[in-house]
Amino acid sequence: MNPFRRSPFVLTAAVLVYIFLYAPIIGLVLYSFNASRANVTFEGFIPKYSDRIVMEGSLVKSSPCGPFHWYCELAKNNDVAEAAGNTLTIAFIATIISTIIGTMAALALQRYNFKMKPFSQLSLYIPIVIPEIVMGIGILTLFSQFFGWVNETFNLVGNARLSLGMATVTASHIAFMVPFVALVVQARLQGFDKSYEEAAMDLGANEWITFRRVTFPIILPGIMSGALLAFTLSLDDFVITFFTNGPGSTTLPIYVYGLLRRIITPQVNALSTVWILVVFVAVLLLQILQNRESKDHS
Amino acid sequence: MLQRLRESKSAQGTLLALPTTVWLFVLLIIPLFLTLIVSFGRRSPDGNVIYTFTFENYTRLFGYSTNCANGQPSCFDPLYVNILGRSLSLAFNTTVLVISLAYPLAYFIARAHPKQRNMYLFMVLIPLWTNFVIRVYAWMMLLRKEGAINIIIGWIAHFLHIPFTPFEMLYTPGAVLVGMVYEFLPFMILPIYTSLEKIDLSLYEAAADLGANAIKTFLRVTLPLSMPGVVAGTILVFIPVMGTFIVSDILGGRQVILVGNLIQRQFLDARDPTFGSAASLILMVMTLIVTYFYTRKFGFGEEIVVA
Amino acid sequence: MNKNKIFKLLALLVIASMVLTACGGGTAATQPAVDGPKVTSTGFECPVPEFPMEVTSKELNIFVWTEYIPTDMQDCFELVYGIKVNRDEYSANEEMYAKLSAGGSSYDLVQPTDYIVSLMIRQNLLQEFDHSKLPAIKNFDPNYMDFAFDPGNKYTIPYQAGTDAIVYNADTVTNVPTSWADLWKPEYAGKMVFLDDSRAVIGLTLLTLGYDVNTKNPAELDEAKAKLAELVPNIKLFDSDSPKTALIAGDVDLGMTWTGEAFLAQNEKPSIQYVYPTEGAIIWQDNWAMPKEAPHADAAYAWLNYTNQGNIFWMMLRDFPFTNPNQAALDFAKTDHKDLYDAYMASPITNTPVEAIKNSHRIDDVGEALPLYDQIWTEVKGGQ
Repeated sequence: MNPFRRSPFVLTAAVLVYIFLYAPIIGLVLYSFNASRANVTFEGFIPKYSDRIVMEGSLVKSSPCGPFHWYCELAKNNDVAEAAGNTLTIAFIATIISTIIGTMAALALQRYNFKMKPFSQLSLYIPIVIPEIVMGIGILTLFSQFFGWVNETFNLVGNARLSLGMATVTASHIAFMVPFVALVVQARLQGFDKSYEEAAMDLGANEWITFRRVTFPIILPGIMSGALLAFTLSLDDFVITFFTNGPGSTTLPIYVYGLLRRIITPQVNALSTVWILVVFVAVLLLQILQNRESKDHS
Repeated sequence: MLQRLRESKSAQGTLLALPTTVWLFVLLIIPLFLTLIVSFGRRSPDGNVIYTFTFENYTRLFGYSTNCANGQPSCFDPLYVNILGRSLSLAFNTTVLVISLAYPLAYFIARAHPKQRNMYLFMVLIPLWTNFVIRVYAWMMLLRKEGAINIIIGWIAHFLHIPFTPFEMLYTPGAVLVGMVYEFLPFMILPIYTSLEKIDLSLYEAAADLGANAIKTFLRVTLPLSMPGVVAGTILVFIPVMGTFIVSDILGGRQVILVGNLIQRQFLDARDPTFGSAASLILMVMTLIVTYFYTRKFGFGEEIVVA
Repeated sequence: MNKNKIFKLLALLVIASMVLTACGGGTAATQPAVDGPKVTSTGFECPVPEFPMEVTSKELNIFVWTEYIPTDMQDCFELVYGIKVNRDEYSANEEMYAKLSAGGSSYDLVQPTDYIVSLMIRQNLLQEFDHSKLPAIKNFDPNYMDFAFDPGNKYTIPYQAGTDAIVYNADTVTNVPTSWADLWKPEYAGKMVFLDDSRAVIGLTLLTLGYDVNTKNPAELDEAKAKLAELVPNIKLFDSDSPKTALIAGDVDLGMTWTGEAFLAQNEKPSIQYVYPTEGAIIWQDNWAMPKEAPHADAAYAWLNYTNQGNIFWMMLRDFPFTNPNQAALDFAKTDHKDLYDAYMASPITNTPVEAIKNSHRIDDVGEALPLYDQIWTEVKGGQ
């Protein structure tokens, strides 16, 4: 049986599921051109270009950016820029740290035996089974109690006071990202053929060089997938960030949630569309790179 | 000392695992422990915690009530048990629906031409990279009375000259289910795909040689070998559904109360952290129990690597 | 190695997006201090401070309601004083309270609504204002000061006020409701939107029974629970974020909502009307307060004095349609922005009639009875 032959049932089902996945996205993008500021129903595209914004009630009649009015509004929005910057910074730093310590932990758990092992393994499973809200509230309580104690004992005032902010959010993100990295790398290590390492050692390499030249390149795809997964989780996180952020550390999900709760203008849709485009382009570039790489290798 | 480090494997292991373990201990184990302590406390009049040892919160959760209709000293109030039950059934329904939608798509991708697989996979991932809250809000626009779905069906009905009143889809439990399925679908597609992709193609040849038709091959070869993926996906879906509150808030018109909503209310509106902590721990325990029995039957699926 | 290439490209992409967003955030309020009038990015010319203050802090952390501060107001303050304002937002008082009471936050100003102020004072979360540093306090209408939740305005000064009342679409509702009790009529079933606010909704139920909105009496609350249980199945949705959306979209025809939402809904759909029920509407007020460990108190005082000037605070009439307690702002609008002023005064939504105010009820903290309210809320909502 040709495993590449696709039955019509599978094909139809696949198409339907893709439509299901993308219907809201298409709706989002379409509504980002909505002439109605209230964004409840679609009132058509903004037809005219003009020098200033002309509104009739909540309908935008004409605007300097024409149909792209909400994108221009988005570009002028400093809060969004700041939130986006924070989100990326936190995700980037947290991914790096969690990938490093997560890979280390995976190596330890897979290859060594040590007293702490069962405890380490168990603690890696906990963030996956724990509901985010429980984790968020617990971490908030912990930070608050700790900061309160430190601030009082050392009499810190003003800017020296410990308080919630970028650092606390990043630390919390690392806590829930590490298990995913560790599990993914661990899985990759399980299928690992030790004979490569043994061969290298036989040829005279010490452990560090063996790791760097043999082990590491082989598990790198696993590390990269783990890192990618962690990065995605951090970008999208709402609940935990909600409880651990402070002044100046608003992230995009928090900002969007607040915006949606009060005034739903098409600017939010414009933001989502831009976000999707950025991701799409990044992924496309990665694809091209990968194709070029496989061409080089073959 | 460095010499001893080199020689002792166990010391190396400890050192490697140390940062992660310490991090998780401080930011996870300790907060959980704090939650446990708080759950045995009592609420002060202003909503703070009185640290004492009482099972009040747990008994209240499971229905023990002193505020009874016919003046009895105590009776059973199923309010919270119902909420727990509702969350379990929603999680179960969501998981079943997600599996039935994810499996065909995962199968399709796994059987696609190897060069195209990554593209199909990324098409699954891209919606994930928009924002969780925005995705839920997008469904509002589709489901509401003057939303896209009703408009399209209205056109079709108009075209076929059938009288049509718009469906009331939004703010119903059905809308919550749709929202949940949508949010967690990619988390099932990826693991199932991974396990399908790993299946050795020679098994199919062997099955064909032995005379099995397509259906038999699927039931005897494909399905069992893809179970680790299904299991991993179920864990990635079931657990978050139990704890989500945003979807039921936005799409259910705040009328569908799940455990997640209950917990969130306790910490915010009701200012009863002791009860909220108890509910959180019960939620965790319930999830652990279900996961345990499930993985006992079907294996853990930890050999599933995402991508 | 080609894997390294991927690595480098990924890193480049991330850094590039960070740089882009950093560039995007460089406009508006960071213009260099030049002599002459400061102008915001929308072209608004910032007035000079009426009560200039000495400020050494370089930053101000405010924790405020979502979409409640005009951009021009914040931009002008940043331009005139050269202080960077960090604004965090919340959409429910309880969120703000949870953050503050957990500790570890470093906000200089928050915006509590009346009922939570007394709780915050009791919990020692707020510091007293030094009225000698608040010359702008004379700008307020005395009718909005010195309430029971903060006698003498020791901890708060007013921001915006409003009411919760009945809203309906005159096009689709033939029998116009005039009292809270009317909402129980079976003809409205499935067509109503209510606030997702346990105190407000249980409160209005208590009013229909003739009880006090802040009762702690379990017997009265039980009655309210039974009555509310009859109403809830008729409610289409609960929404405290944007109830006007459902009204405008036609998902619902009537219900209860607050001042700002009713006004905006009416703008969209002129058939939407706001009516004060006979039992009395629920009246509320948002206020500024200073948390105990505010790190930049001097900047906070500067903000309060500057933003409450008549020629700044009038912006609220333009941007956010609520009831305005700042008399100086109203006086300024009367002469300089007459159309805004007239629209504000003419609308019974923003300019609440005197009898409606007299008849209204203010929600207050109920202390140990709060779990009773929450239990009722969970029960009536969860029994679906």
